[in-house]
Amino acid sequence: MLQASYFDGQSTRVHEVVLSLVDNDLVISGDNVNVRLPFDQVQVDERLGQASRRLRLPDGTFCEVRDLDQLDNLLQSAGHRDGWVDRLQRHLQLVLVSSVAFVLIVAAAYQWGLPAAAKIGARHLPPAVSETLTTQTLKILDGSFLKESQLPNERRTRLSAEFRSLRLPEGGTPTAPLLFRRSKQLGANAFTLPDGTIVLLDDLVTSIGDTEQIMAVLSHELGHAHGHHSLQLLLQSSAVGAFLTLYVGDISTLIAAAPAALVQAKYSQQLEQEADDYGASLLVKNGLSPVLLADALRKLLASHPKSSEGGYLASHPSTEARMRHLRALAAAAGR
Amino acid sequence: MEDAPANITPPAATAIATPQQLRFTGTGGSYFGIWIVNLLLTVVTLGIYSAWAKVRRLQYFYRHTELAQTGFDFHGSPKRILLGRIIAFIMLVVYNMSVRLHSIWTLVVIVALAAVLPWLLRNSLRFRLYNTSWRGTRFHFRGTVGGAYRVFLLNSFLSLITLYIMVPFAHQRLKAYQHDNSWFGQTRFSFHARAGQFYLLYLMLLAGFLAFGILFGMAGLFSLLKPLMLAQQHQGGPVDPKPILMAVGIIYGAVILMSVVIGPVFHALMTNLVWSNTRLGEHRIECHMSPLKLTWVTASNFVMVVVTCGLFIPWAMVRMTRLHVESITFIPASDLQEFSAAAPEDVGAVGAETANVFDFDIAL
Repeated sequence: MLQASYFDGQSTRVHEVVLSLVDNDLVISGDNVNVRLPFDQVQVDERLGQASRRLRLPDGTFCEVRDLDQLDNLLQSAGHRDGWVDRLQRHLQLVLVSSVAFVLIVAAAYQWGLPAAAKIGARHLPPAVSETLTTQTLKILDGSFLKESQLPNERRTRLSAEFRSLRLPEGGTPTAPLLFRRSKQLGANAFTLPDGTIVLLDDLVTSIGDTEQIMAVLSHELGHAHGHHSLQLLLQSSAVGAFLTLYVGDISTLIAAAPAALVQAKYSQQLEQEADDYGASLLVKNGLSPVLLADALRKLLASHPKSSEGGYLASHPSTEARMRHLRALAAAAGR
Repeated sequence: MEDAPANITPPAATAIATPQQLRFTGTGGSYFGIWIVNLLLTVVTLGIYSAWAKVRRLQYFYRHTELAQTGFDFHGSPKRILLGRIIAFIMLVVYNMSVRLHSIWTLVVIVALAAVLPWLLRNSLRFRLYNTSWRGTRFHFRGTVGGAYRVFLLNSFLSLITLYIMVPFAHQRLKAYQHDNSWFGQTRFSFHARAGQFYLLYLMLLAGFLAFGILFGMAGLFSLLKPLMLAQQHQGGPVDPKPILMAVGIIYGAVILMSVVIGPVFHALMTNLVWSNTRLGEHRIECHMSPLKLTWVTASNFVMVVVTCGLFIPWAMVRMTRLHVESITFIPASDLQEFSAAAPEDVGAVGAETANVFDFDIAL
């Protein structure tokens, strides 16, 4: 015997009824209601917290039960088994295991899954996408931060020619454009756009000076182009943003808007090392030493004592570690 | 409860007409299990399970919301919500890409979205209400498509070209469209707040912004001026960056403070205005949400969610829902038993989900 409220679905009238189980039939009786039907035709709502639970009948009527423990007894004797998600949700140990699993899965997805997926995604995006992105980005930059280069023409021609004659580790020579620009805000800098176009700024050329060392910096940039790094970062930041919105979006858009940029620092560090490795192997292939890149980095470090002030190294963390790594690569290659 | 005899007229003679405060019986502890398990399943299935998680979340909150000892219920189908989410996701991607491209397509996509959004928002209202029930009787939304274009598109446009002077009016029209077109079974809701009352609240909001702006603007300015003056005294020595960072911190803090103080106060007063002026048939509704309490809950939720890296979210949602639900009292003019249901109609979930992803979901 179990107290319940019966609703006919036609009006909001409450019928106080009693539920019982007879030969695996559910019997609902009392208050002008007299229903008997096989229990397997009854749909049982899952148990959510302390909310009263509903038994739905095929004709759209339903019973609402407040005494959840007594209902569990009745369900058990009727041979009803709650769904696995339902059981998972209210089993304390399983909830704790789920919490730990959640943290581990999110951490693993962030550490390995996301970069790998973004890498594959970046490689398979149609070239038209990266070309459009490049044109638009360049258009915006040219209208704001970037000015015409003031390097002498012969210097530019020479650098371009040297760049064009670099032999790539995978064979062939660079095909993407090398653009010369000048920028007060970006300082001594070089960067790669989504389709592989490299932008070289005047201040970087003047503060490094040595052509081979500039080629070392460009070989590092070719590493970014080779790995489609800028597209990869774009995809990664979109995914991180989507996750943050999913995670905290329910409670506060203020927190959901927390800068996804914070999350980017570690990723760019990984990509820098990838680009360094590619640059080093490119230099070796061209009969040059990876130490050239380390030397270029040291010069840039000297021209910007504090990397927080901007310039090429601001986006390239832990320069000392990178220089050590490059020297080790040079030693391994015997250069 | 007594069975109301059908042959006696008028029914008001047998009415139980005591005011009924809405109750919320959920707890953070019991919701935590549901939240974390569904979050885990959502992450593992790359978001696909989120539709099921959403149904469960709504069911948890609806069923723990009780009027006269009976909970509300949510009936939306996860599969239709999933379909809606997929369409919403595609629209979001198209929108994001077109915004980045800066070409004629940007304009085309934005115009197309603006043209389709009012229809989607109206469908989202229909889906949400149709799938909400109390005591087996469903709610309905019967707003016309034309009405949706008027309140969402035309009024927004008018607000824009009148330099936002018409925002309170547009807001009042929106609420009227929502509430006047809502039904519970065969009983219609009605909305009685006037535009003048909305203007009054918006004026208070403006005054609050100005007071805050002046206060923090001056504090920020002073902390900037001090180091600059000191630097001048030291004959062109380098400026100490610390006070400047502090000034930036103060400005950022002011923005957060503004959203956890002025925002909630305005929200509480607006919720009270809207719901206290809504009726269901003959029955009245009163809403007395304390602005102070809402400010406290918002601010402490914010701090706790940040401190616990999000683990406090279930408790935060329960606290916020309880405050909202329990501020509402339903004052019946006659017996609550007498509502009768209307014929069901089929409503798609696409509208509901698209509105959610674009963050235009109209909060009650």
